[in-house]
Amino acid sequence: MTSTANLSPADFTSDQEVRWCPGCGDFAILAQMKKLLPTLGVRPENTVFVSGIGCSSRFPYYLETYGLHSIHGRAPAIATGLKHTRPDLQVWVVTGDGDALSIGCTHLLHALRRNVDIKILLFNNRIYGLTKGQFSPTSLPGLVTGSSPEGTTHQPLHPLSIALASKATFVARSIDTNAKHLSETLRRAAEHKGSAFVEIFQNCHIYNDGAFDFAKNAAIRDDHLVQLEHGAPLVFGKERNKGIRLNGSQLEVVTAENGDVPSNLLVHDELSPTATIAHMIAAMSHPDMPEAIGVLRAVSEPTHNELMHDQNPEPAERSAALERLLRSGETWTVN
Amino acid sequence: MTYVVTENCIKCKHTDCVAVCPVDCFYEGENMLVIHPDECIDCGVCEPECPVDAIRPDTEPGLEMWLALNTELAGIWPVIDEQKEPPPDAALWKDAEGKLAHLSRNAVSA
Repeated sequence: MTSTANLSPADFTSDQEVRWCPGCGDFAILAQMKKLLPTLGVRPENTVFVSGIGCSSRFPYYLETYGLHSIHGRAPAIATGLKHTRPDLQVWVVTGDGDALSIGCTHLLHALRRNVDIKILLFNNRIYGLTKGQFSPTSLPGLVTGSSPEGTTHQPLHPLSIALASKATFVARSIDTNAKHLSETLRRAAEHKGSAFVEIFQNCHIYNDGAFDFAKNAAIRDDHLVQLEHGAPLVFGKERNKGIRLNGSQLEVVTAENGDVPSNLLVHDELSPTATIAHMIAAMSHPDMPEAIGVLRAVSEPTHNELMHDQNPEPAERSAALERLLRSGETWTVN
Repeated sequence: MTYVVTENCIKCKHTDCVAVCPVDCFYEGENMLVIHPDECIDCGVCEPECPVDAIRPDTEPGLEMWLALNTELAGIWPVIDEQKEPPPDAALWKDAEGKLAHLSRNAVSA
């Protein structure tokens, strides 16, 4: 079987019972992924999901693809090795805020800066859920958890800022229960050539319920979210009368008094060769500013595999070069 | 798979399920709710919330007719995303049999 013409979600659904807490945002992400995968033109046996440790990292069990529930924080490194040796495979990484930004943070940075053609999905619920509720690297100050009975005292990491600082060529954010937006964002990530990083706001309704209420509650979210579209001004608000403007070296919210769209707004440019404005958008934090969803950055750079290939295009010569390296002297015999 | 609303819901229409659904995939008729199978994410949070045990996973045998009914009516009825009071006579219908005959295919009145 090599055809991808008649694939359906059932072809990507494993026989494993899904074990997350009822109501978990992970179900919503899995549902969209199962609908998306059959449309990407890649067969299940050519698709691999690599995960680390945490609730999100159960993801590979539930897909009828190849999968590896790997070592805490090391999924990006394992995925890098896999893509390096098997460039024909579509390789996804599923991780969480604890897995990717605490124990695995440096692996994440280096996979991104190498522009390995892998798709990294970070399910951010701002809590350690699998271990029953301790503060994570993205928990907000003051959050009371089992490990912070008087509230956390530290500033949270911003996943998008870290991805941009790591020179990721594709950086995006979406929301677990926003089915259409999530599906489109995942599709963009899948189609990107190079490292793609997607932060997904994911509600843990057991240990950190409502962490993203500002972005999910239909009654208020329009006033707290900016949906990024390439070439479009940053407009938001229930009345679509608010916008983001660059004032000196700061971003600011402006509101049109007469109900019109404000003028002189920042126009989103996901192709910008510098990530300066993207960094500023990534740093926008609720409640002072609306938070952005959509694709912050999507630029084309040579991938890890392309660079390695260009350095030495002949497979036989690459093997010979390795052999020469191993026998190049400067070796010791241990008795 | 998906979860589906079955016969027990008819003329009871408690909306405890609506309060917990993370993706707002319940649709409201005059005297019953249904789930949109394409929007349900199979998370199961609604199942134990139902006071009359009307919500079942469609992997249970014999629910084909209810899956078809949920699919059809979800395409006709409006979404419901906030909990509301059940009908005043809901308790009287809790254990009634043959409730399918009382199903109204009308959407909830605005």
